[in-house]
Amino acid sequence: MTPSTANVIHEYSLADVDSVNGVTHDGQCVWVATGERLIAIDPNTGKPLRSLDVTCDAGTAFDGHHLFQLSGDKIHKVDPQNARIIATIPAPNDGLNSGMAWGEGSLWVGQYKERRIHQLDPETGEILRTIRSDRFVTGVTWCNGELWHGTWENDQSDIRRIDPQTGQVLECLEMPTGKEVSGLESDGNGQFFCGGGDVGMLRVVRRPQ
Amino acid sequence: MDTLIAAAAQSLEAGDPISALNRVALRDDAHGLALRGIAMAQLGDLARARELLHSAARAFGPDEVVACARCVVAEAEIALVSRDLDWSARALDDARQTLETHEDWNNATHARYLEARLLLLTGRLDDADSMLPRRDPAHLPPTSRATHELVVAGIAMRRRQAASARRAFARAMEAARQAGIPALLGEIENAARVLNAPVARMITEGSERPLLLDEVEALEASDTLIVDACRHVVRDTHCEVSLATRPVLFALARALSDAWPGDVRRDMLITRAFRTQYADDSHRVRLRVEIGRLRTELRGLAELQSTRQGFKLIPQQAASVATLLPPVEERHTGLLALLADGELWSSSALAMAQGVSQRTVQRALDTLQAADKVQAYGQGRARRWAIIPVPGFPTTLLLPAPYSGG
Repeated sequence: MTPSTANVIHEYSLADVDSVNGVTHDGQCVWVATGERLIAIDPNTGKPLRSLDVTCDAGTAFDGHHLFQLSGDKIHKVDPQNARIIATIPAPNDGLNSGMAWGEGSLWVGQYKERRIHQLDPETGEILRTIRSDRFVTGVTWCNGELWHGTWENDQSDIRRIDPQTGQVLECLEMPTGKEVSGLESDGNGQFFCGGGDVGMLRVVRRPQ
Repeated sequence: MDTLIAAAAQSLEAGDPISALNRVALRDDAHGLALRGIAMAQLGDLARARELLHSAARAFGPDEVVACARCVVAEAEIALVSRDLDWSARALDDARQTLETHEDWNNATHARYLEARLLLLTGRLDDADSMLPRRDPAHLPPTSRATHELVVAGIAMRRRQAASARRAFARAMEAARQAGIPALLGEIENAARVLNAPVARMITEGSERPLLLDEVEALEASDTLIVDACRHVVRDTHCEVSLATRPVLFALARALSDAWPGDVRRDMLITRAFRTQYADDSHRVRLRVEIGRLRTELRGLAELQSTRQGFKLIPQQAASVATLLPPVEERHTGLLALLADGELWSSSALAMAQGVSQRTVQRALDTLQAADKVQAYGQGRARRWAIIPVPGFPTTLLLPAPYSGG
């Protein structure tokens, strides 16, 4: 396997952004969580379309219509069309929230350190139930040699595809030196969106066909 | 397979269902459904997980046998932790063979562990042991290694081999730490807790004390004649006699062992064995008959010596005598021992694990419910039973385990 150079099709530098904490794709735009703002970016032009001044250190979820942003002790429900907060519900405040997702009609907030998962009503924030996660259910794996992840070592970053059975690197897309990959996200259609880590940067990489 | 599915699969392997869900929550294709199912299982909504996996299996085409087999394995695992044991072990076995044929080794191995865990739950220890993969677990990913060692520890505990159980738990912990999955670590910590709690009581020379599993193991290896009220056997290091189907004989053996090195008066033996306060001549005749039968059963282990007022036990090979008792004495301890894993059990699963009829289990559950020891959830076929937790009710010794002397 010879590494190929990553085909970085776009490199957008984000004004007034020091670091990228997370990247979410809502089917149209890429939402970048930057610590004090949530910014929607058009992946074709790199133009920030909308932004929202909320603390977003962890957890952006999307239910197909709205974004939910975990922000300290609150969860903001956001209309992605205009970046307006439509509702604010309480977030579980009994531990360290490690992340949030929407799924099967509920919001799920994981507190992995406390080994708990809260299931929330997305309308009210009411905790429907708290599940103790002290049992690891289903170690059935679903990787067919399509395991991509970003690495960052000695100022050199790449995106690599790994054989999950052997750990062998099958494909490796080298990023230009000094260009860190953080928060690898994909649109499922051959495009990766990579946060620039400590640099306020969003890169769009084309996956080799 | 697309990158979103790959990334979600990767998150699930790392035990991070929240990130996985953020990638596949809105997808209704077969792969998306399957991963949503696995994510729901990891989040603890097992009912929804089963529905999703079922839909996924239906959505895969006839040529996608590997994906279908994976759905079967995931469903079987959810059934196992839901203590629904009447799912088809056959389907799981077929799925495993499909995965082996297509060289999906990780999932084939995982299916083996599930089969081994089912066998362990139903007390078939040797079968569970032979189901474990023969490959060196060192080559497996850390999650599988942890699962492997958990099964090994479970088998050792049921065989009362505390030292090897302890070593397997330590290896499981090490692997779980490498995997970095908090839920997996929690599972192993909970399972290993049994090793540090008393699992039995021992009566010897008139005094009683609690025993840890290590001490039970040491007792069984020592030069002691043991009357074991957990499994209803009498044994020393040379041989073992089961009195599981002879309650009267066991009651006599137990009374004699409790009193050792002293003797037991005839009227006391009558009270203990026949559960009556009034001894007449017919009882005395019966006692002589039963003592004769017990003599025959215990030949080679102990003699029953008559004394001026009754009988006493004289071990033939061993140096001393001890009674081994459950930590809590009550009827239906075996059932409580199964329920003590904290899971919700169906009555059919309890019957299967105990090897008795469902009617017997149902009667026992009704008795235990009346005594506020268990509670029922749900109605009809969906009815599940759980223990009402009593601190310090450990269990290993009460679970059905064919004893392998050696």
